[in-house]
Amino acid sequence: MVSDAEYRAAVEFLYREARLADEARYAEWLALWTDDGVYWVPATTDPDADPDRHLSHIYDNRARLDTRVNLLRSGHRYSQEPASLMRRLVSNVEVASEGGELVAESNFILAELSVQAGHEMHWWAGRVTHRLRRVGDELRMSRKKVVLVNAAEPLPNLSFLI
Amino acid sequence: MRPSAPPAVDYKALVQDDRIHGSLYTDPRIFADEMERIFRRGWVFVGHDSEIPNPGDFVTRTLGGEPVIMVRDGSGAVLVLVNRCRHRGTLVCPAARGTTKAFACPYHGWTYDLTGALLGVPYPGGYEAFDKAAHGLVRPPRVASYRGFVFASFAAGGPSLAEHLGRATKLIDRSCDLSPVGRVELTAGWVKHRCAANWKMLPENDSDGYHLGFVHMALFRTVRTQYQRVVGEEKAIKAVIRDWGNGHIEIDWSPGYEGPFEWLGGASGPAVAGYVAAIERRDGPEAARQRFLEGPAHALIFPNLFLGETNIAIVEPVSVNECVHWHTPMLLAGVPEFSNRLLRMAEAGMGPASFLMPEDLLVAGRNQLGLQARSVEWLLLGRGLNREQVDAEGRAVSHVTDETTNRALWRHYRTVMTDA
Repeated sequence: MVSDAEYRAAVEFLYREARLADEARYAEWLALWTDDGVYWVPATTDPDADPDRHLSHIYDNRARLDTRVNLLRSGHRYSQEPASLMRRLVSNVEVASEGGELVAESNFILAELSVQAGHEMHWWAGRVTHRLRRVGDELRMSRKKVVLVNAAEPLPNLSFLI
Repeated sequence: MRPSAPPAVDYKALVQDDRIHGSLYTDPRIFADEMERIFRRGWVFVGHDSEIPNPGDFVTRTLGGEPVIMVRDGSGAVLVLVNRCRHRGTLVCPAARGTTKAFACPYHGWTYDLTGALLGVPYPGGYEAFDKAAHGLVRPPRVASYRGFVFASFAAGGPSLAEHLGRATKLIDRSCDLSPVGRVELTAGWVKHRCAANWKMLPENDSDGYHLGFVHMALFRTVRTQYQRVVGEEKAIKAVIRDWGNGHIEIDWSPGYEGPFEWLGGASGPAVAGYVAAIERRDGPEAARQRFLEGPAHALIFPNLFLGETNIAIVEPVSVNECVHWHTPMLLAGVPEFSNRLLRMAEAGMGPASFLMPEDLLVAGRNQLGLQARSVEWLLLGRGLNREQVDAEGRAVSHVTDETTNRALWRHYRTVMTDA
């Protein structure tokens, strides 16, 4: 069990993270991470997926996270130039405490308008696990795992921040 | 009144030596012809035998739009079966992969063994005499493999796989022989990337050395990669492209490499000591040194297998304006210590969230949109005609930014599409 204050802090973090990703506020989004952050989007919905044995869509350590964001900020990441128009709903939030960190699980639905070419609306949905660590007086994410409902299906470009 | 037959497409007029017609990417009749002539009659890559190591293991794929199952039977043989119940047409195997003892149709319970033989038909009293032997799952008449890469053709006749691959087997060898036991393993799973463009954009782009500095400018400006020297001044570029015949085409970066393992993002010391020793024991020090410098092939095996250096990719046509690019890391049997790096390289290089392919597939999609402009008919294909050479082995070779590879692809295409 977590306290009401911890639950509220976790939910506020999730909302803020979602908004910064939606609005392509890359530097602010990157600042939400701890220095040892791991950003993982498996290529399967199999709960036994192991990033050391199975290919993932994304398995970024902190250095690669920096590269991902630097690409987006370069002005030449054409698959996100201009940035997709996005809004996501975050819901069904459950928060637990584990090893001094908060573990928040949530569902999301994201509407993404791919304005770079076909102007198609892409709908993304999945289950997210955030590990949140208190650093000074703020929460930061040390891990974000996104299991897409259609992780194993052919996906369009996913170069925005999911 | 009888409807008149649609006029046959004149591929000789549409595919010329230095230009191709835009309708080749947009005409649904042409797509249908390609599925028949290239993806059914021709040899098409289905999968790799390492994906199904044990009896009963299977994966499902499409071949010319047809759903098929690649399965290892009880004797250990790799078979390709058409994924369609002989009774009412139901998919007998809906899963992408798995392990089974038999394929049971969910509709009326018809059951087939791993070789496709029909085992049972419930309520047999409904047939006077039923020939089970004549109602097994259909198999493409020809299935053959080279170094674990399994190909199939729905044509009973025609060139053998060995004839189709020709000397391009050397490209497959170049990749496989990086393993000390000579085997690659495609066991890490596939990522599938949807592309809103005609399928031919992908093999053309995979063998296009001209676009790197433009399409991938973000990457080159952000991090150091092994391709950095390819985006420099035109005369300083040493990488080349080659035509291996039969539509098999290559980019060879290695003339631009200055040291071993650049294709692996650099490696030295204890990280590769055991591996280096194993290859040196097998090949001798000089051949091993050359192998570490050259690295794996970057080549298209016509029409749908892409040896993408440390990745293996499949091009799957869906419709005239949609295809899927599959990829998996090319793991090297006997070198488990490389697997983690190869996984991370696969995620960086290919797939919808990678640092390279989203730009490639975006541009492919924009090509498809631009080609809707019918007031311009032709795409240019003449780059490098002024400087391509024929090497000692008879292969056309040219500057990496030239279109020798595109021309080779289209020349073979024209042959396949017009053969009697």
